[in-house]
Amino acid sequence: MGVISKSRKKSPWVIHYDCTSCNGCDIETLACLTPMYDVERFGIINVGNPKHADVLVVTGSVNKRNVRVLKNIYNQMPEPKAVVAVGACACTGGIFKECYNVLGGVENVLPVDVFVPGCCPRPEAIIDGIVLAMDKLDEKAKKMKEEKKKANQSVKV
Amino acid sequence: MNEYLLLTVAILLPAFSALLCYALRNKAVRSFIVVLTSLAMFGVAGGFVNLLLASGGTLKIGVDAHIIGWVIKVLDLLLMGYILYIGFTLRKYLVVVLTFLQLIPLILFEGGLLFGTPHESEIAFVIDYLSLIMILLVSIIGPIITIFATGYMEEHEHHLGLKKSKQPRFFMILFIFLAAMNALVMTDNISWMYFFWEVTTLCSFLLISHDGNSESVKNALRALWINLSGGVAFISAIIAIYSVYGSLSITEIIEKTKTGGFVGIIPLAIGLLCFAGFTKSAQFPFQSWLLGAMVAPTPVSALLHSSTMVKAGVYLVVRFAPAYANTMLANIVAVVGAFTFLAGSAIAISQSNGKRVLAYSTIANLGLIICCAGIGSKVAIGAAILLMIFHAVSKGLLFLCVGTIEQEIGSRDIEDMQGLAKRMPFTTFVIVVGMISMLLPPFGVLITKWLAIEASVNSPLVLLCIVLGSAFTVVFWSKWIGIILTMSYKNSYKAEKLDFSVRSALSLLLVGALAASVLIMPLYNIFIAPHINSLNLADKAAGLAGSNGGVWLQGVGNITTGGFAAIPVFLLLFALMLLIPYFMRKTKAERIKPPYLCGENVDNDVRGLQFISPADKVDVVVVRNYYLTGMFGEGNLTLWCNALAGAIILVMFGVVI
Amino acid sequence: MGNNLVQNIIIAVIWIVAAPILGGILSGIDRKITARMQNRFGPPIMQPFYDFFKLLGKERITVNQTQMVYVMGHLFFAIASLVMLVLKQDLLMLMFILAFSTVSLIMGAMSVRSPYSKIGAQREIIQMMAYEPVLILMVVGVYLTTKSFMISSVFSESTGPLLYNLPLVFFAFLYVLTIKLRKSPFDFSTSHHGHQELIKGLTTEFSGPQLALIELTHWYDLIILLGLITLFFAKPIWVGIIIALVSYFLELVIDNISARVTWRWMIKATWLIGIGAAMINIVWLYLKMKV
Ligand code: SF4
Repeated sequence: MGVISKSRKKSPWVIHYDCTSCNGCDIETLACLTPMYDVERFGIINVGNPKHADVLVVTGSVNKRNVRVLKNIYNQMPEPKAVVAVGACACTGGIFKECYNVLGGVENVLPVDVFVPGCCPRPEAIIDGIVLAMDKLDEKAKKMKEEKKKANQSVKV
Repeated sequence: MNEYLLLTVAILLPAFSALLCYALRNKAVRSFIVVLTSLAMFGVAGGFVNLLLASGGTLKIGVDAHIIGWVIKVLDLLLMGYILYIGFTLRKYLVVVLTFLQLIPLILFEGGLLFGTPHESEIAFVIDYLSLIMILLVSIIGPIITIFATGYMEEHEHHLGLKKSKQPRFFMILFIFLAAMNALVMTDNISWMYFFWEVTTLCSFLLISHDGNSESVKNALRALWINLSGGVAFISAIIAIYSVYGSLSITEIIEKTKTGGFVGIIPLAIGLLCFAGFTKSAQFPFQSWLLGAMVAPTPVSALLHSSTMVKAGVYLVVRFAPAYANTMLANIVAVVGAFTFLAGSAIAISQSNGKRVLAYSTIANLGLIICCAGIGSKVAIGAAILLMIFHAVSKGLLFLCVGTIEQEIGSRDIEDMQGLAKRMPFTTFVIVVGMISMLLPPFGVLITKWLAIEASVNSPLVLLCIVLGSAFTVVFWSKWIGIILTMSYKNSYKAEKLDFSVRSALSLLLVGALAASVLIMPLYNIFIAPHINSLNLADKAAGLAGSNGGVWLQGVGNITTGGFAAIPVFLLLFALMLLIPYFMRKTKAERIKPPYLCGENVDNDVRGLQFISPADKVDVVVVRNYYLTGMFGEGNLTLWCNALAGAIILVMFGVVI
Repeated sequence: MGNNLVQNIIIAVIWIVAAPILGGILSGIDRKITARMQNRFGPPIMQPFYDFFKLLGKERITVNQTQMVYVMGHLFFAIASLVMLVLKQDLLMLMFILAFSTVSLIMGAMSVRSPYSKIGAQREIIQMMAYEPVLILMVVGVYLTTKSFMISSVFSESTGPLLYNLPLVFFAFLYVLTIKLRKSPFDFSTSHHGHQELIKGLTTEFSGPQLALIELTHWYDLIILLGLITLFFAKPIWVGIIIALVSYFLELVIDNISARVTWRWMIKATWLIGIGAAMINIVWLYLKMKV
């Protein structure tokens, strides 16, 4: 499992979902792809397809209408997967928190692994968040494996 | 004496069963007759294989040509009379004119007014390997389709809601058809062949118009007049040939043309024979009759497309291939075939009606056979004969499948076959294997396509047509297979209920299709190689050889210049088939997820059939194929292709005159 | 014969193992070079392998039970054509088998009721329709120069480098190479960069190990195609290899400087330029042969 675990840390593929962002965070997220920051150095690719992705990057706060889509996308991602909330809105609801239709931060809906605060966060911070998520991914994978083993053993017993 | 028995059984038994089917109007009795006749015909086919292998190549059967000759003459007149009657009652005067155009020369010729009473050879039946292969096709695939028909027609008439069953007549014509085909491929007397040729024309008319509605009658009449025009060409060719050689024996005619006799009026006569072959095998611009024939019940389409009718046309062209090998005529025949292959495959892309796709694919494949006959090298003739076999089996299978599917889902549109695996897993499996056998290596049809390309390298125009055409075939087959195999998750599959006759016919043909491809090496070595050798073609290369589990191309001095070991690949494939399920268990899905719809899936339904569109409307996901009608539309292409094909045929006649 | 067989099996096995390693490294270099051309630093050379192994370790999700079968077919047919290449078998059959590796993937993409993968599959079919004839014509060109369809004849004593006789065929082959490798401007069946109109086209519904195997097949394909380029200058082989690598570099340049075209445009251009060039070459060889 050594190779796979090592590889997992080196190739996080990202899907970016924009909930109710004011677009400030989106622009910064996309700025990570530019030659200036070049996230591909870390093997990070924006794949745009939940079935290929390892990390779900969410910007903006969750509201009543998009929660269904957000959950759907999350559900379609294969394990192990991590969620990174980018920006104050995604972390807590930010300035939209009190709006009548806003449910608050992403953590109200999905298990968030990394919070990247800021309004908007700098690209360096976003990259750092994703890199942190990679370690989380590996932890999760190990947990998954143990659970599976346990499940198998209990079947045998 | 044995061969006489077999001959009689092969021709007269179906004819006799035909009468029985007509006379005894009881379903159970009819099914019994069909099964019994089928078994007997299988037996006959086996018997002929035995005899021919023992005799070493040709089986000459002498009969009292005088008496049979007169019988055939009388039947000829009756047949023409009946066609005239059809022409008059349905007021299709083109049919009448074409019949008279045949009747007059026929009377003049057979009545001895032209060259005295024509001399008919005593050895009226000559069976060589080519005939044998045709006999096998007719007497194996034909009966299987007839068995299928017993179950199918019951359902069909139920659909139509007929008061009085028309099945006795239907089965009578089917059996007469088979008898005529058997006779046609065995006889060595060209004027007898002409008679059987016309019998198949008439039978196809009767079968296509079987349902009796205005569309089917219209299409049947079209089939009739197009084939009659081929008949006119045929009788003219006979007279022209007889005027020079004074012989009606096909063997003799071919022998004479090969040894310097290809001069004077003979090229024209052979050209006319090829023309007759083109009409019968629905080459462009004569393809419309075969497309119209789709209105008939499925067993008819299956029969017309696989082993009978259209195969009679290519049989004639392939039979005479040595006679015109290496002439200008041969080059043009090759171009006609190659062009049909290209045009048929191209138009097939734009079709969404399953039966029409099959029809165009048949036309294309027949084109390829004719093209190979025209190229006329050893490799090409080998490819032509192989393709005749593979195409007959696979196409018969596919038509029966489409018919079965149509009865179940009530549509023959490809798009409606989406998710078929859920409703009819068995038929889905069979039809997919059938299609794969038309498309994938190491199955036979692909191997012949490969041979055809290898054979045509020396004529760039033909080559271009085949190359483009084979790319198009990949397109329409893979689109169709893709649609059929489209499915969402389902826990378990249970085979659907089918009539026993339908299921057994499908299974038999499936086994046949697989067996023909797996056994390509012995098939080639035993049946085809001796035939090609006996033709003494003037082509320097050693040709084809079946060895090392495959078919290999050999150049000058027996150097292998190409080849493909089919059997090892098959073994590998089967091994993989065993391995993959094993793997599957290891790579078994841990979770089923619905398809990606941008997160807009309606609920957690794993099939992902619906999504939420703007304004919270629930919409159904529709996935369809491209049909590229702008580029390959039937409407735009048919006219141009017909014009071009007509021009090529005119050029052909220009050259031979 | 027995010895030969053993030898053949050894060669085949070596290549089956070596090809994906080479192919993976090449596509790593591809990504690096592409990044440099875009003024980026780029991922490590070994990045494709990281991606591959990561995908292997992912949860296995599918949409229906059959997807894996098609992926296997995709892979096995590609391996089969690689084996045919290294054992110097019939070139035409190789092309057919290679084509059916692609057909298998198309089937897999079509087997799912997903609009994105369906459209990707349709576009892939159209691509096949465009490039298949050129590949077959290339084989015919090789036959006209060597008088044989066997790849071994290319290496035989009597034939000079094919490139001298087949310059236009070579050009046509380079042209279709872009389509075959799904590089820009012909990357419309599965776009290299997601979040476009097609998501990931053909491969949208494959994930985890399935996607890993598709990636693996891609490496095999790459090696087969570069191997075919090598045939154009088979003696000495290192010249051919250099030509292949240069061609690959050329592909990368084209990939980076061009925008995507529509499929109509592609069909017309490929038939006109690709088939046109190959046919001209074949006709002149044919006439030369006649003289
Ligand atoms: S955190 Fe700031 S920049 Fe980001 S979406 Fe919220 S308001 Fe916009």
